[in-house]
Amino acid sequence: MRSIVYCTALILVLGSNASAQWARTPDNTLPRTPDGKPNLAAKTPQARDGKPDLSGVWQSDINPTALPPGVQTVESITGFGAPRYFVDVTADFKPNEVPFQPAAGAQFAQRMQNQGKDDPAAHCQPTGVPAITNLPIPFKIVQTPGVVIVLYEDSSVFRQIFLDARKPVEDAQPRWMGYSTGKWEGDTLVVDSVGFTEKSWLDRLGHTHSNAMHVTERFRRRDLGHLEIEVTIEDPKTYTRPIKYTQKATLLPEEDLLEYFCTENEKDIEHYR
Amino acid sequence: MPALAHHAFSAEYDAEKPVKLTGAVTKVEWENPHAWFYIDVKDSAGKVENWGFEMGSPNLLTRAGWGRNTLKVGEVVSVEASRAKSGANIANAKVVTLVSTGQKLFTGSSQGQATR
Repeated sequence: MRSIVYCTALILVLGSNASAQWARTPDNTLPRTPDGKPNLAAKTPQARDGKPDLSGVWQSDINPTALPPGVQTVESITGFGAPRYFVDVTADFKPNEVPFQPAAGAQFAQRMQNQGKDDPAAHCQPTGVPAITNLPIPFKIVQTPGVVIVLYEDSSVFRQIFLDARKPVEDAQPRWMGYSTGKWEGDTLVVDSVGFTEKSWLDRLGHTHSNAMHVTERFRRRDLGHLEIEVTIEDPKTYTRPIKYTQKATLLPEEDLLEYFCTENEKDIEHYR
Repeated sequence: MPALAHHAFSAEYDAEKPVKLTGAVTKVEWENPHAWFYIDVKDSAGKVENWGFEMGSPNLLTRAGWGRNTLKVGEVVSVEASRAKSGANIANAKVVTLVSTGQKLFTGSSQGQATR
C-alpha cells in the first residue's frame, strides 16, 4: 500500500534535564492561576475601542487526523500529532464525499500519487491563506482599529486584514495570502479574502483551489487563551459545495516568533524521488 | 511543538528502512528549515563513513528546550532513523541517544510535546 509520509516533526525530550528552556519574556499583565501559571481561561481581553482583542502569539491545536486509507504521516511513525486540517482540510467529510468537481478530483489524486513532492512548501514557497493558519507553527496577531496584522512564523510572512471598509481590489494580482477585508459582528471578526494564486495548496494532502476561491474566516477569542477560527472555503470551480471547518488555536503566553527562512539550509529538494 | 512541515517526507525517506547507527558527531547545522547533524560511522571492516541526519526545525527544537550547543562535536551518539530512498548516507532521525549517559535527546513520543 502506498504511503504518503509528510515530515512535520521531530520532538525533543530532555528527560529530567529541562534546564535549557527557551527563554520567555515575563508578562506581568497576564492574569494567573494560584500556581502562578498564565490563566488561559481568564476573560477575553478588550481593545481600547471596546472590541475583543485578538492580539497575541497563537498556535493551532494538535489533534488527531483521520487519514485516507494508505496514507501515513510522519506523526504515525514518530508518535507525534498535527493539526487536523493542516493535514487534510476535508477531514470532516466522509470518505468519497468530498465535493470535488471532476477535474479537481483528478488533480488531487495526481498530487497524492506524487507523494506530495510538488507541494509548494516542499520547495520553500509559502503556504497560503487559509492553510497557513492551520500549520503547527505559531502566528502572531497584532490588532489595531483599522487593520489587523498577522505575522506568520512560517516563511516569515505577513498578512493584512483591512477593517476600514474598503472594497477588494478589482482584478487584483493573485497572491498567496489573498486580499483580506474584515468587519466585526458582535464579538466575532469576520474576514473575507479573495484574489488568490492557484499555486497554493489547501493542505498537505494537496487539496486544490482556483483563483476564484473566496475564504471567510470568523475569528472569535473565546477567553484569554483560546481562539476559534471558523473557516468557509467557497470555490464552485473546484468544489460543488463549500468546505467548512473550525480550527482552534491556543495562546502561547510570553512567547515570541522566531525567524524562519526556508532557503537558509534547504537540503531536501535534491533528494526527492 | 511540531516542526516545519516543509518537505515531502515519503518522496525522500523510507520509513520501512530503519537504520541504527553509532558514531561521533562531526558537525551540527542549526539552520532552517531543518537542523542537521553528521556522525562518523565505522563499519565492521574499519572503514569510516560520514552520515547526515535531518531533524525538525531549529525553531521547534529551540522551543522544546534544545539549543544549538546541546549536541557537541565529538560526542558519541546512537541514532535511530529512516534512511533516504536515494541510498545516500542520509536519514531522518527519530531518536538520538547520548552513548555516555543513555540520555535520549530526541523522540517522537507525545511526551515531548511542548504544547502549552
